[in-house]
Amino acid sequence: MRYITIVLLFWGMLVNAQNTEAKKDSIREKEIKLKEVEIIVAAKKKIETEMKMAVSVDQFLASSDQISFIKRGAYAWEPLLNNMSTERSVITIDGMHVFGACTDKMDPITSYVESNNLSTIDIKSGQEGGMHGSTVAGSIDLKRKNSAFSEKQEWKGAYQSGFEFNNKQFFNLGNVSFASHKFVADGSISYRKAENYFDGNNNEVKHSQFKKFNTSLGLAYKTSTLSSLRADAIFDVAKDVGYPALPMDLWLSRALITSVAYKQLFKEGLVRVWDSKIYFNAIEHYMDDTTRPENLVHMDMPGWSTTYGLVSKINLKKENYSSEVQLNAYHNVSIAEMRMYPQNRSKQTMFAYSWPWVTTRYAGLSINNALEITEKSQINFGGSLGMNYNHSKYVDFNWIFHPGAPQEKTRFLPSLYAGYTIDVKKFNFSVGGGYGHRAPSVSEGYGYYIYNSFDRYDYIGNPDLKNEISYEINAGAGFTDEKFSLKAKANYFYIQNYIIGRILSMGSPMNYQSVGVKGYTSLDYATLFNFSLNAQYDILEHLHWKGTLTYARGKDNKEGNLPFIRPLSYQTSLQYHYKNFGFQTALNGDFEQINYSPEYGEDKTPSYRVWNLSADYTFYINNFKTVFQIGAENVLNEYYSTYADWGNIPRMGRNIFTSLKINF
Amino acid sequence: MKFFNFCVIAALFAVITSCTLDKTDFEAETNRDVTEYFEFKEVTSLNSGNYKISIAALNGTFYKGYNEIRLTIINTQNNQTLNSSDVTCLPILTNSDGNKTSCPHRYNLIYNEDGHYYSGYAVFTSISNPMENWDLYIGFTDNNQLHSGNRLISVHNQPNMNLNMTSFTGNDGEKYFIALVAPQKPRVAENELVAGIYKYNQPTGPAGTFPDPSQFSYSEVQNYTLKLDPRMPEPSMGNHSSPNNVDLTQKTDGLYYGVVNYTMTGNWTLNFIMQNQNGQVIKGTEVPTDFTPGIEGVKSELYIDILF
Repeated sequence: MRYITIVLLFWGMLVNAQNTEAKKDSIREKEIKLKEVEIIVAAKKKIETEMKMAVSVDQFLASSDQISFIKRGAYAWEPLLNNMSTERSVITIDGMHVFGACTDKMDPITSYVESNNLSTIDIKSGQEGGMHGSTVAGSIDLKRKNSAFSEKQEWKGAYQSGFEFNNKQFFNLGNVSFASHKFVADGSISYRKAENYFDGNNNEVKHSQFKKFNTSLGLAYKTSTLSSLRADAIFDVAKDVGYPALPMDLWLSRALITSVAYKQLFKEGLVRVWDSKIYFNAIEHYMDDTTRPENLVHMDMPGWSTTYGLVSKINLKKENYSSEVQLNAYHNVSIAEMRMYPQNRSKQTMFAYSWPWVTTRYAGLSINNALEITEKSQINFGGSLGMNYNHSKYVDFNWIFHPGAPQEKTRFLPSLYAGYTIDVKKFNFSVGGGYGHRAPSVSEGYGYYIYNSFDRYDYIGNPDLKNEISYEINAGAGFTDEKFSLKAKANYFYIQNYIIGRILSMGSPMNYQSVGVKGYTSLDYATLFNFSLNAQYDILEHLHWKGTLTYARGKDNKEGNLPFIRPLSYQTSLQYHYKNFGFQTALNGDFEQINYSPEYGEDKTPSYRVWNLSADYTFYINNFKTVFQIGAENVLNEYYSTYADWGNIPRMGRNIFTSLKINF
Repeated sequence: MKFFNFCVIAALFAVITSCTLDKTDFEAETNRDVTEYFEFKEVTSLNSGNYKISIAALNGTFYKGYNEIRLTIINTQNNQTLNSSDVTCLPILTNSDGNKTSCPHRYNLIYNEDGHYYSGYAVFTSISNPMENWDLYIGFTDNNQLHSGNRLISVHNQPNMNLNMTSFTGNDGEKYFIALVAPQKPRVAENELVAGIYKYNQPTGPAGTFPDPSQFSYSEVQNYTLKLDPRMPEPSMGNHSSPNNVDLTQKTDGLYYGVVNYTMTGNWTLNFIMQNQNGQVIKGTEVPTDFTPGIEGVKSELYIDILF
């Protein structure tokens, strides 16, 4: 593996060296910044929310009505897209696949980036998100900052610092970019340190501290008038991270995410852009239970996930037709160990793999087409065909529960979708459908005694699970005029072979906290319905109102409730600007969770509401635009936990935050 | 300069990608407490007239528990191996009082055509020590002439706990022996578990001249069932067990075969209930199946501990 990275690196340098004598050019920058084809839908623009300008990646994602979170503490929330867990969505960084190294999902990919090295987050729902790989729920693509080449030399940067009083979180984020005619560099560095937070009853939530360091560097070189080479790296370290909802914490997690990309633009013809990237990333994750004296057993649970891959995309455009074709290929090895120490430490330790060296290889071709029928109506359609290969090195572990299961498994994962949008005067309507397969994740296929502290069962993977097959329909309607807009969206998923854990009568638990063993099995089907309503109203020129209502319902094949489905929830906010001042207030909450699932460890979660306030002031220090913000989250200090808080851990109580951002 | 840069970056890369904790070498991990022997070596030899008798066992050592014994008899005059003799083998334990006993063994050895040796076994019930000695008494005939001899042997402690044995008196008053034969080196997997079950046959007549095999008779019990419930005894494991285990039943070679699944490395207890051919319990008790974290697992009255 290490050898390969060096080879990759060397290749990058060679290519770089060969092109140093490229001729100068006089083509305008505009052509270089050829639009990335209009297909990309509603990407979020800035990594900040209306309430708060200094947000973590998690907080930013939370502002999307399609995303909800499973929270195991104050750090590394697991994003649920369309109320489906991360196995069902594709989470990528610039199209690169990165897989967490923790069997307990303590490290979703979103925990390995920082808000100051991202430019946008691109969320696509359902099969439309199949561009980067097979999915059911959709895709979340974290897009890195990527400065454009510039005619004259230009330095830009921002520095942001802040303090949050509840958990004494102190953060410093800095990023700088240099752009010139031939060369661009983007760099960022950040450090966050937080102590335990306090809940709404002013009780300390123990083991909720964290420390995170993140840095990134991107270098781009223009190899010709229409081509460029770019190398990127992100290095992220989290240390001493507490997970109050789990019986153990994190000692250290590290991620190195690297890529080399070559981009070729074409002035004319059908093909407009060809962008290829090879990438490598390595994640290490080491849990730590030594700070939990109540634990009966001391365990080491290290995990490693190493991925390398290729993304190659061409954008085509001809008249009213545009298309993206993308080749994805990756190779991942996931390893997780558990070593239990007996109470008498002189005795033999006990060892097993919770991921027995599982290799996943994927190769797939995706296509995404847009055809403008008229100026007001458009058809989007596309699909993908992927091949997914799994190999379990220590398949003996899998054979204990599934004797004779194959050591290798190859699956074909097709997907198709189509959608139609039309604008009729001030209204717009959309309707679409999709079909797609996904392969079971490493845990679902090959996991071995993975302890889930939510329902307190040890989970066993099943290599013979069938592909999960999703049938999806979606529709939307909206109204927009100068002052008011209203948008309603709904989707419905019928998921065949829905993978979920079911109690196994034959197993006996291995982790001392667990109450039994569950095996991943396929339900005949499950259904999921998501609905959201968004409204905006400009009450005055500088006074804006926004409201969101979301509802979801998930059922299994016996009309039982699926777990982690968000109850009816709402969010409403007011924004007011006056000269250099801005004021925001927001109220959000969930109604009582009526449709909970005791079978999957859920209990009824009462309703809650959280009120937030903030104010900011913009001023200039030596022509540097500076924003100071102060605010409070959960102003009423409500004691609450949400339906998706692991083990009903209480959320943060009143939190006063301040931050200062200087742009230069 | 470029090359130097490259070297620096490559070195930096190697440092960053190197892991903080090393991955476990699983092969080494399972070799830590268990050595597996495949090779039969000569333990000792004796001469009787023109014959040289070579006695071989795994690793050239006799251990407490089950030992396969291979005998080769060579006529030293024509250097030919004997292949059509009735060969007998009798292990005798002599204690300091001069009392002589034996242990489960195969008295009439079976000739193995392919390997040109006589095959037998002995389940040594104790190790050699200053107070107790083991002797092997060998007898065979060639040209209708009886030859015999004996040899002092040394029986060592079995360091591999996967080849442990136990002896007990059953509910029927008989004396029984259970010895593990395989696997020598279990894996975290489905393992075929092989054991020998023997019983001591009380002599029916008065003793003849020593060594009189009728006084030292043992037999493989026929058509018994050894019900199996493997568990991890470590308190923190809370009486952990494994699925898909298969009780041991007899096959044509006289040994008992079953399946044991080990879900992780470490200490395991094989809890047994031994039933005779009529399904009556000869020894052993049901163990609790509850998950009891922090409490050492309760063992059956009949069990063997293993470790790997």
